[in-house]
Amino acid sequence: MNKTQTNSIGFSLSSDRVSVIILLIPALIFCTIFIFIPAFWAIVGSFYSYGMTSLNDWKWVGFDNYIKASQDEFFWIALKNNFIIVFASIVLQVGVGTILAAILDRGIKYGKVIFRTIIFTPMVISSVAVSIIWLIIYDPNVGILNSILKAIGLPTPSMGWLGDPDISIWMIMIVAGWQNTGFMMVLILAGLQGVSKEVYDAAEIDGATGVKAFWYITLPMIRNIIIVAILITTIGAFKVFEFVYVLTQGGPSNATQVLGTYIYLQAFNLLHMGYANALSVVLLIIALILGWFQLKASRRA
Amino acid sequence: MSKFKLANIFAYGFVTLFSIYVLLPIIVMILTTFKTRREIFLEPLGLPGQFNFSSFEKALSIGLGGFIFNSFLVSLFSVILIVIIAGMAAYVLARIDFRINRYVYLLIVAGFAIPPAAVLVPLYVTVSNLGLLNSIYGVVMPLTAFGIPFTVILFYAFFLDFPKEVEEAATIDGCSKMQIFFRIIIPLSGPAIASAAIFQTVWIWNEFLLALIMLTSDEVKTLPLGLMKLRGEWSSDWPSIMAGLTIAILPVLIVFLIFQKYFVRSLAGLGK
Repeated sequence: MNKTQTNSIGFSLSSDRVSVIILLIPALIFCTIFIFIPAFWAIVGSFYSYGMTSLNDWKWVGFDNYIKASQDEFFWIALKNNFIIVFASIVLQVGVGTILAAILDRGIKYGKVIFRTIIFTPMVISSVAVSIIWLIIYDPNVGILNSILKAIGLPTPSMGWLGDPDISIWMIMIVAGWQNTGFMMVLILAGLQGVSKEVYDAAEIDGATGVKAFWYITLPMIRNIIIVAILITTIGAFKVFEFVYVLTQGGPSNATQVLGTYIYLQAFNLLHMGYANALSVVLLIIALILGWFQLKASRRA
Repeated sequence: MSKFKLANIFAYGFVTLFSIYVLLPIIVMILTTFKTRREIFLEPLGLPGQFNFSSFEKALSIGLGGFIFNSFLVSLFSVILIVIIAGMAAYVLARIDFRINRYVYLLIVAGFAIPPAAVLVPLYVTVSNLGLLNSIYGVVMPLTAFGIPFTVILFYAFFLDFPKEVEEAATIDGCSKMQIFFRIIIPLSGPAIASAAIFQTVWIWNEFLLALIMLTSDEVKTLPLGLMKLRGEWSSDWPSIMAGLTIAILPVLIVFLIFQKYFVRSLAGLGK
């Protein structure tokens, strides 16, 4: 055993470089084959027209796919929905998550672990399962939402909770908030627990307690974590797929379509591979911009 | 004093209401499994008349066990690959002064930002060309690739805080970088490995989009696809659908409740 080690010292300089390359290369190979090369082909493919059965029969169409997208009402609805989900998620998941974290950190004395465990639980359940559970809750015939409203004499939407284009995207947000708020709470709670007790003692001497202390002292101190939470939520909002796919399939009449489901629809239901690529490139550009912000935030942190 | 009490009532009230919002759907799911189809239609808010286990038998008969087994294999293989491959890369980035590290890190962050939907069609073609459609490796490979960047970032932060002295001693003893990584770094990285494995397991166990396009035959489908199959085949047989969900969710919930401290700790570390 010792002998081989002594031998390797003989060419330690080059062997070091070799082992560095061996350590690094698997990660690069995986990411290149399954992320970067596909990203390259998505860009190239967006200038062609081809279908599932003619994957090798590409027809050059120039910018036609992008022109088509700019005139495609459903693409704009999908993009708009992604932005609605970004803002709603920041308010509902990061905002409510922050309030919950603040309460669990210093607002209450008893039951902290129990509350934290309950609120965090949805995070480990699959989004598909979560969406199916909410399908029965929203169901016009057997759902408890309608039953509760009827029991207290309130009106219920005539087209169903998911069938009304004006409210269906918000019903999806309720499900997304149900699953993800606990995650944000835990993330922010970890940041709050890093704030030392002395800070609060000093604040109290200055007359800042409770909500006031939280707003003026705690919040600025956990600014970086809030930024990370907002970034994670924003990136997640552009990845949304399961909630929409299971709850509404993008309906009614494409009102709840998001980029993920619309790309899937164009590629695998309508077999417009070239057009799906053009939509993917839009998502790719947004993702890379967000990734750039992520990089900036992590450098600062 | 009264102001203090009011704030207290608000604080407890808020977390209690939120907890009810979280628990209610889970309670609905469990109660519905024991109800009959007649009961859920006539009294959606009522309790089941008797504990009726027939819906569980029906849910198992559709092959839920197989879907769970496939998800188990996909998660196991992907998580092992991700942890080893990302750990090696993160070690080089954090510890070895190598000219291209800066660019590699930029690539990793770019890889983290790109969602599967942004490369959906070419990814499908790649897996198809590799002959891996309808094989669990057709999802294991891309899921590993998509799991690596995030895990590298996680490990990178951990390795930066790692004491350098241990490695220096090992270098003097004549260990190569490779030996240092596998014999010294890995055995001392338990907490980071546990965090990464937990996070990736939760994500891969629940992953849906890639499985949806790569796996079309029942023998290879993972659990989320299996749940969609339940939903598709028994559109209004809610007790059986909910029984299927309960069977699928309960093991994960039990594991979570036992290890919840570690789950919370692993996810909380992300903000750092």
